[in-house]
Amino acid sequence: MRSLRRPRLLAPFLLTPLIAGCFASGGGDSGDGGGKGGDGDRLRVALAFPPAENLSPYGADATLLSRLGVTEGLTALDANGSAAPALAESWRRDGEKTWEFTLRDAIFQDGSDVTPDAVADSLGQAVRAKPAPAALAGVGLTAEAGGERVVRVTTAEPDPVLPLRLSSPSLAILSAKAYEEKGGKADAVGTATGPFQLTKVNGATSASLDRFDDYWGGRAQASGIDARFVADGTARANALRTGELDIAEAVPVAQAASLDEGTRRDTATTRTTSLLFNASSGTFKDAGLRAAARGAVDTSVFAKDVYEGYGDPGAGIYGPAVTWAEGKRSAPVGRAGAGKPGGDDVIDLATYDNRPELPEAAQVVKQQLEKAGFTVKLTVREYSRLEADALDGKFDAFVLARNTLLDTGDPVAVLASDYTCDGGFNIAQLCDKDVDRAVADAEKIADTAKRQDAAMAAEARILGSDAVVPLVHQRIITGVADSVQGVILDPYERTLVGTGTRR
Amino acid sequence: MRQRVATAVWRVLLAGGLVCGVGLLPWLTRTDPAYTVLKARSAEREPTPEVLDDIRRQLGIEGGPVQVLGNWLGGVGRGDLGQSWLSGSDVLPGVATALGASLLLMGVALLVAVVTAGAVCARTLRLGGQRRLGGRRRGGTGSAVLASLPEFLVASVLATLVGVQLGWLPALGWYGPQWTVLPALALGLPAGAVLGRLLDDLLPGAFAEPWALAAAARGLTGRSVARQAVRRCVPALLPNLGLFVVGLTGGAVAVEQVFDIPGLGRTTLQAALAQDLPVLQAGTLALVLLAALATGGARLAARLLTGPAVRDGALSSLHRPAPPGRLLPPVLYGAVLIVVAGVGLGRDPLALDTGQRLRAPSPAHPFGTDALGRDLLARVGHGALDTLLLASAISAAALLLGVLLGLVPRVAAPLVDTVNAVPPVLLALLVTAVVGSGAATPAFAVGAVAWAPLATHTAALLRQERATLHITATKGLGAGRAYLLRHELLPAVLPPVLRHALLRLPGVALALASLGFLGLGAQPPSPEWGLLLAENQPYAERAPWAVLAPAAVLALLGALAVTAAGALRRGPRGGRRPARPDSSAGDGGAGDDGGAGGDGGAGGARGVVGVVGVVEKEAVVVR
Repeated sequence: MRSLRRPRLLAPFLLTPLIAGCFASGGGDSGDGGGKGGDGDRLRVALAFPPAENLSPYGADATLLSRLGVTEGLTALDANGSAAPALAESWRRDGEKTWEFTLRDAIFQDGSDVTPDAVADSLGQAVRAKPAPAALAGVGLTAEAGGERVVRVTTAEPDPVLPLRLSSPSLAILSAKAYEEKGGKADAVGTATGPFQLTKVNGATSASLDRFDDYWGGRAQASGIDARFVADGTARANALRTGELDIAEAVPVAQAASLDEGTRRDTATTRTTSLLFNASSGTFKDAGLRAAARGAVDTSVFAKDVYEGYGDPGAGIYGPAVTWAEGKRSAPVGRAGAGKPGGDDVIDLATYDNRPELPEAAQVVKQQLEKAGFTVKLTVREYSRLEADALDGKFDAFVLARNTLLDTGDPVAVLASDYTCDGGFNIAQLCDKDVDRAVADAEKIADTAKRQDAAMAAEARILGSDAVVPLVHQRIITGVADSVQGVILDPYERTLVGTGTRR
Repeated sequence: MRQRVATAVWRVLLAGGLVCGVGLLPWLTRTDPAYTVLKARSAEREPTPEVLDDIRRQLGIEGGPVQVLGNWLGGVGRGDLGQSWLSGSDVLPGVATALGASLLLMGVALLVAVVTAGAVCARTLRLGGQRRLGGRRRGGTGSAVLASLPEFLVASVLATLVGVQLGWLPALGWYGPQWTVLPALALGLPAGAVLGRLLDDLLPGAFAEPWALAAAARGLTGRSVARQAVRRCVPALLPNLGLFVVGLTGGAVAVEQVFDIPGLGRTTLQAALAQDLPVLQAGTLALVLLAALATGGARLAARLLTGPAVRDGALSSLHRPAPPGRLLPPVLYGAVLIVVAGVGLGRDPLALDTGQRLRAPSPAHPFGTDALGRDLLARVGHGALDTLLLASAISAAALLLGVLLGLVPRVAAPLVDTVNAVPPVLLALLVTAVVGSGAATPAFAVGAVAWAPLATHTAALLRQERATLHITATKGLGAGRAYLLRHELLPAVLPPVLRHALLRLPGVALALASLGFLGLGAQPPSPEWGLLLAENQPYAERAPWAVLAPAAVLALLGALAVTAAGALRRGPRGGRRPARPDSSAGDGGAGDDGGAGGDGGAGGARGVVGVVGVVEKEAVVVR
């Protein structure tokens, strides 16, 4: 017995290498944050959504790459929601279906030049990806080199918003090296053009990035980024408070008050939380009852109380982050007179709990509708367990947080998909001739200002149908440590870290 | 031997059925995997038919369930667990890393649990070693309260208090030894309280055995007598530990979430929601294997510790008639609960006033208000009715099922192991697949786990009772099996199992709430207690009262159950046997009181800790 004891004491030490393998790699050594040669510290960033597809540029992970300053497209979105130059210096329309983009002098992170051929090939890969990136859904697009610095992009149908479309993070330009792996996968590690390059990705846990010294827009001030993917909002806020992080993305409203005032920055986003009524079946098929329900909902309490001031009261489908919308808004058109709620119909109100504020908002809606004489039953589920039923029209009412500028940045796209007969995301089940016509008119217009006017005219029609009641326009709270400067607070949630971000 | 082979075959069949059942999950639930995979990759993407077709082609699932399952099984034969449907990367390295993190977390949590258990029994050990234990009444309210605290609450309090406010330990991540402390505390404290209660219940029996007296007379120190007493009792706890190990490895979702630990619980949760079958199957396989290892390891360790004694039937019973518990505490706890519920029932639990949100307790709102300005006293009071009614109904059903299955232990024991190894969310999904998502589904999902400890307990008690003298005598008088069961065995077994079921009520209530996000169980704005805890958790730091009120009533319920179970002990069974003059404060069995249901939590119905120890213990009992 005694002779066995000593080896037993040693056993834990033998296990040490094994145990070390059980910890997550990366992130831990970021504690001292020493940069390369002392010029610019590394930034420690926590992002809310872990990569689902190994940071593939074709899905939702594309946004992560773009927020970390890894990838760029030909164009970008400016503060007003118009296309701005990125890898393309300028562009012009050449006939109905073709656009010509003139590239700037840039090089990929693997050292090769950004040539028209490389760009055309990269876009071609995105077109051939299965499933195709959302921004390209239903668009037949071909790209070819059209000169020394020119890429010609042709679409099957005339596409007036092509420059906006190409700003989508999922249409980022990668070098030929990214596509060497078979199976249609694109690898953004060291093949993009942004100010930071990925060096290591640890599954869905963390990623390391180094500054890309030859970035066309100048060297970034931070020497690199240690990105962590932390799904729990409270955990992100806690880590920021303990100084483990420099930037924490999307701090939940409930945690905002626990951060110092200087640490929390809020930005208006294009995300609108709305109450949708099922206009095709059930109680709210009756426009009068929709009007009565709309009248019963007092939208002032949502921004002030449920969102604790981190939101703006619902004004329309587009919120204040869509800067041009407010000035062009007209009164809703074609509203029906309010009916009288009655009968024993139970209203099925549904929402999802992936965003913690939504169940709270839905409970307030429930009480307000009940005060007006409706009987309401609330269903709360995880989003993926709910959406199919919602799209099938199984609920009478739905509280939805929706990004109003989608992947393309085109304001009309959300109207077409959410509120027209053929729309693919028509939870309101709205099918109204006037709305369809207004949206179709807007889709045809190429001129930005006129397209915006037409979008607002369509919005007035849609609001007039009372199929949607905008409750609140969300503001996103980014936690930024005091020492950090130059964080890009982007209403489109496409950028976060840039060349000027440092600590 | 033949029985052993049959049990082994049954075990393999169960595990195989489970893995195949997981492989057929989408077809059983009639939920398109292409759809859930798309939503997990990108929630905002429109699910158009073309996109879904592309994904189906990409995943290679056009062939239907049989072909997919066949391919997977073929791959497993070659040691290839396939690629994740979600990310497209190989499953094996990912699941192995997650398993490593989870095992490490579980290991440290086990350490914490052992230390906690030691603290819980410290007093008994000290007194017992000095032979001053005689006639001591059992306390245990404190450990019962600790045991009924939900893990996720302990985790967020620790993260905020120790991690952020005091800054002693990191509050986020999993990068080195100092990161393991807080999560291990969150998991280990409640579990340790349960284990401690079990041990504390057994120890007096050990101290009352003749060897202890002899050792004291021989002049051994109190310390070594106490050490031997622990050694005498530990084998009875080992199977508990085995189940605890497996349950924590796959079911620590909430703690992994709060501290951002890349463990197996979160991996399987995400895979279950996205129906990422290869990952789900690999995770389940790993947990089932771990369960087999843990069960085998526990048996082996128990044999090493007490093997010869068991073989020779040389152990005496650890069971001794206990003095009934005091009546005052349960009456007091019950009265407080009734008063709270009674006062709360007179108020409106649903009246929102967002202007009054998160108000501190005041005369107008004695328990404060929640994030929507609702009166918490009203919600706790109204929730009492829903919570207790539903939880009691489920407990009653689980009791019935547990007793019935406990009559056939050879069938039930492998089933217990398998059920315990399945991640709770997956089990809920499988139950939903079988019974559909109706109003009764959450009850089925929780009941599917809740019976297991009760069945084990019943089996253990039966084995013990069958070995007693009066059964032999009744048999000698010519009684048949049915007569024996009805008149001798069941009356002896039912009361302790009933007390045990009572103890698990708080755990059942919490487990119910943990299914809410699947659309099962109570939906807001219902004031069900588990839901109250969950919806107020984000505000725990700003408005502690909002979580304190439901947590306190739940803990009160736990304390009530534990003390009431002690007071219930004056039943016919206790009365039948004459109390022995030397009886120190032993107790009617670990399982009777041990498992104060601190298991539920957001992790789900992880309820087996606290009971199965009885199996091994009863095996060594010869009356």
